[in-house]
Formats: sequence, structure tokens, C-alpha cells
Amino acid sequence: MFEAFTDVVPSFFGWLNQGPLTLTIFLHTVIILPMIWIYFQEKKRLENEN
Amino acid sequence: MANKSVWSDNRFWQRSATWVTGFASVLLIWLTFDTSVQIAMGNDEDLKNGVTKRVPGPTVINYKITYEMDAKRGHEVPVIGEKENFFGRDDWSEEEAGALLHLGKLGSQAKNCMDCHTLLGNGAYYAPDLTKAWLDPAWGPNGAMQALTAKETKEEAMAEFLQHPDRYPTHARMMPDLGITAKEAKGLVAFLKHMSSIDTNGFPRNFGHMQGAINGK
Repeated sequence: MFEAFTDVVPSFFGWLNQGPLTLTIFLHTVIILPMIWIYFQEKKRLENEN
Repeated sequence: MANKSVWSDNRFWQRSATWVTGFASVLLIWLTFDTSVQIAMGNDEDLKNGVTKRVPGPTVINYKITYEMDAKRGHEVPVIGEKENFFGRDDWSEEEAGALLHLGKLGSQAKNCMDCHTLLGNGAYYAPDLTKAWLDPAWGPNGAMQALTAKETKEEAMAEFLQHPDRYPTHARMMPDLGITAKEAKGLVAFLKHMSSIDTNGFPRNFGHMQGAINGK
């Protein structure tokens, strides 16, 4: 999952981009997970309203 | 009354859109600053002290540049070696080298190199990519171009070719005479040499394995 950092100039995104844990997978994860949280919050709110 | 679905609830979509837009904005601003650091040009001190920069300072024209396989990174990288004469000198100051590169950059824009070539991947696909043109073995001591242009060095051969490309039919798609002056040609060669020293994460892919990339042999 983690591989040695080989970029010329070290950076957070450079580190994130090493190996199979790509930037794309990371970004989709951090964007989608809070949406699931929002989903359940809204579901609860709708149930309480009824 | 039947339960209202979350999917048809406006508030869910509003909050999701706010989150995605907000997160993406922060991310893009962060990436902009992150990139600025990555592409910041180095200086003469870095070169003297052997500090590796993705984009070396203009005085890199005083050094020999080679293209070597980096096993760890899995592609070739430009390696800045010992001092090397560039148009008979290896002591171009930061100001002189900077001015020469600037002239070359303006020249490349004025003559619209990108109308046919690509520079760092940007431009047209009619003529070869010039990102690593300086490292093309065709211009090296064993390449055809020095003999063809009757010049002793790579930079002089390149400058001669740029001034009279119509005299050297090296490619099926011949480069036209663009009226490049000797001074401009010098700047353009410096611009190309500096560009070849930029660490482009191995772009263009497999360039080092192309024998005479310009001639396509």
C-alpha cells in the first residue's frame, strides 16, 4: 500500500500519489464519505418530521 | 403519509453540493500552492551545491546534461553533470543565462514553434516534441547533425539548423526557414538545453530509447 517516496520535491500530494493508493481513490473517498453521513442525517431528520 | 425519500429531498442535495464545491475549492487552492513550489525555478547556488530541483536555474546551460534511467522511479531523468562549454563558455552568469533563456522563450513564441512542435507536451503534433530535443543523440558527437551542418558542437549545430532549416532536409516534414537570426538561434538553443534539464517525470515516455528521435530512425 505504501511505497518509498521517489519524487524530486516532497509534497503531500506527491506522497499520496505513490503506489496503488492513488489521489483519485483518496479524493473520491473523502468526498463520498461525508455525503453518506449527510444522507443519514437527512434521513433521520425526515423521519423525525413525520 | 408515505415517508419522503432522502433522494428526493432538496436539503440532501443542497448540503452535498455545498460540501463537494467547498472541498474542491479548498483542494484546488491547495494544489495551486503545492504546484508553485514544485515548479519554482532553482538558482545558481542550487546547481553549485548539487541541490536537485524539478526546474533548474538558467545557469544549467553551463553543465552537461544526460538522460539516465532511474530504477527507483522507473523512468529516465535528466542528470546534471560536470561543467560543459556552451557556445565556447562555461561561465554564463545567472543574469546572462537568464537573458539568453528569456530571448529564447520570446523567440519560441514569436516564431510560434508550437504551431508544429510540442514543448513540454503543449503544442501541435506535426513535428517532433522538443522537450528533450537537446538530449537527442542525433545532435550528439556520434549523430548525423554535427557532420551535416559542419559544426563542431551540439549547440552550434542546432543554432545553424535553426537559422537555415531548409538547407538540411532531415525530416519528411521539412522545417521552413523562419528567418531566425544568429542571436535568436543562440537563445533558442539555450531555451532547449534548459528545457531538457527539467524533470518531467519521464515525459516524453521512452524518449531515451529512441535512437535519433528527430530523424525517427
